[in-house]
Amino acid sequence: MRVGIPHFGNVYIPVKGIARKLGATDRDLIIPPPTSQRTLNLGVKYSPVEACLPYKLTLGNLIEACELGAEVLVQARGTGICRLGYYSRNQERILHDLGYNIRFTHFDVSHHKIRSFLKLVKNMTNGASWPKIISASYFGLGKLFALDRIEKVVHKSRAVELEKGRANQVYREAIGAVDEATGGREVRGVTKKYIDKLNRLPKDPEADPVKVGIVGEIFVVLDPFANMDIEMELGKLGVEVRRTMSLSRWVKYSLFLNGLGIDEWKEVHKVAMPYLKRDVGGDGWESVGEKIIHAREGYDGVIHLAPFTCMPETVAQNIMPSTKEDIPVLAVPCDEQMAKPGMVTRLEAFVDLLRFRRKRRRI
Amino acid sequence: MIRVGIPQALYYYQYYPMWKTFFEGIGAETVVSPPTNKDILDLGNSRAVAETCLPVKVFFGHVISLIDKCDYMFIPAIRSLGEEAYHCSKFLGLPDMTKAIVPKCPPILDPEIDLNKGRRNLWKVIYSLGRHFTFDKGKIKKAVEEARKANLAYRNKMSDERITPIQAIDGMHRSTEESDFDSHVAPTLSVAIIGHPYVIYDEYINHRLISRVEAMGARVFTPEMAHRKSLEIAMARLIGKPHWSFEIDVIGAGECYLEAKVDGIISVAVFGCGPDSMMIDTVRHRARECKTPFLFLSLDEHSSEGGLVTRLEAFLDMVKRKKKECPPTTSPYLSNDGRERICV
Repeated sequence: MRVGIPHFGNVYIPVKGIARKLGATDRDLIIPPPTSQRTLNLGVKYSPVEACLPYKLTLGNLIEACELGAEVLVQARGTGICRLGYYSRNQERILHDLGYNIRFTHFDVSHHKIRSFLKLVKNMTNGASWPKIISASYFGLGKLFALDRIEKVVHKSRAVELEKGRANQVYREAIGAVDEATGGREVRGVTKKYIDKLNRLPKDPEADPVKVGIVGEIFVVLDPFANMDIEMELGKLGVEVRRTMSLSRWVKYSLFLNGLGIDEWKEVHKVAMPYLKRDVGGDGWESVGEKIIHAREGYDGVIHLAPFTCMPETVAQNIMPSTKEDIPVLAVPCDEQMAKPGMVTRLEAFVDLLRFRRKRRRI
Repeated sequence: MIRVGIPQALYYYQYYPMWKTFFEGIGAETVVSPPTNKDILDLGNSRAVAETCLPVKVFFGHVISLIDKCDYMFIPAIRSLGEEAYHCSKFLGLPDMTKAIVPKCPPILDPEIDLNKGRRNLWKVIYSLGRHFTFDKGKIKKAVEEARKANLAYRNKMSDERITPIQAIDGMHRSTEESDFDSHVAPTLSVAIIGHPYVIYDEYINHRLISRVEAMGARVFTPEMAHRKSLEIAMARLIGKPHWSFEIDVIGAGECYLEAKVDGIISVAVFGCGPDSMMIDTVRHRARECKTPFLFLSLDEHSSEGGLVTRLEAFLDMVKRKKKECPPTTSPYLSNDGRERICV
């Protein structure tokens, strides 16, 4: 069985880790080439015009996986309110029309997440034993946590580094090293090594980074291709980024702790309550709440990322300006028409505004 | 008497008779905003975020036009109307969005309707809504029962007489009365117009689409004109369990009318509609399989009447030519045996 997966940030690294531990080779797990302009073009060509960017990108990935000979494709599925639940249904038809004889298998992201995750692994590995699956999952998810730990440090060091671009270089090396690590201890060692390396980068003594929070829809927030590497661009402008949302956090809570009744978003929902009373699907509720939290914690600004025409985020965008807590919000709709220079210009203008506001506040 | 404002947008077309009966039953008066016009659209358009879809912008316009005319605004947050089938996020966020965008809005009644939580929860929600007007539990119960009946009667009226919600609510032909179209042309074609009720029946948004198509010599069928049951059957056959509550209006109706062998299908959606972008693709695919002409109209606040007319004319010309070349082989008249048969 040759399994293909779509890309979503760095998710391919833990998936590869799990597969390798369970004895799968490159033939068994097909990871499509990194998302590129070609991927996007393929996705756009075969998708409905008004579909959202995550749909188009994942379709492009899956087509590229099919070209490499995938027979079974994995796609997320949920009974939420946003379009996600519809992805696999339409994509399967499109791929059949293109002449690929493939089968879809699903990963549930709204109910029975842990069960569906383990079942998926079991099916994909032709019934490996449970202890093996669990130890492999532990190892793979460990990689995910390691990556996110390194990323948190990069967010800070990018803003203050003396020689622009060094932190990014180290970060890229770190991703490669984590990807190649073959044991739990090695992953931990590599993580420590690269975090030290990032912390030891020469710092600009006069740097006074503006602090910006990134909120929005999970796919475009976490996928660097979808958001045109916005975190890196902000780093170049000397901005420290905070992003609450991360894959490791999602895994930690959604797969494990939510089942025990611990809700990671409880605080966020509570502060959003006066403005938005209920979950509107996707990450809309969280976006509103996070704006308020960032304002209270004294951040300089918030960048709100959403795929163009995303329903939950449109609700959030309509509500955000009315909150009592005042903080500048830059809404960046992501779609295939977006060009990097345009986005960078907007970011520069936004950061200038934040610097100006900060100066005025100090006087 | 307490006046409850009901904007003539979004749910209005599906549920107005039910709500009216309910509020009258518990001793309140309903105030409806006027049909959409330029002022209403501009009011809504100027306040909402640009990316918001047209019907929601129009909805805000209707709310603004009702501000001084009512004591309460009725904006339910509908999460789900069936087992694990949900509404679009914007419907859920509607009361809160209204509060944010129209700060002067009178107190909003926002019951959260979620049939997934069972009948008990529904009753609780309705009861707490009724408590705003009366403490008499029996009165609320009676009003609910009457509202249910009114809704059923309304649905049946539309599907039995094959009329649009506007005709059923007003009991007359609003559009043809003030219409400058010659509506005496005997229809020679049958065209199904599918989409959300708030797009198909809002004559300002869609530039009087239905009357236009009728004036061009076609008999129009809309989702409301078919029996609910046959739509459900058609939908189940095509996609199984629905993901959205209104999938029945698009996929159900599309498949149902395709099977009934209409001459053409016009699917109307507004730009930026998330669910439609996915659903219409399914219907388009089916239409191609059935070799039925299919037109996809995407509307927004900038769509001009001229462009729409040209596209409609071209489409109907194509439908006519196709009908001449390969005459259909369907049976003569409408029958309601669970499967819709259509002929003109």
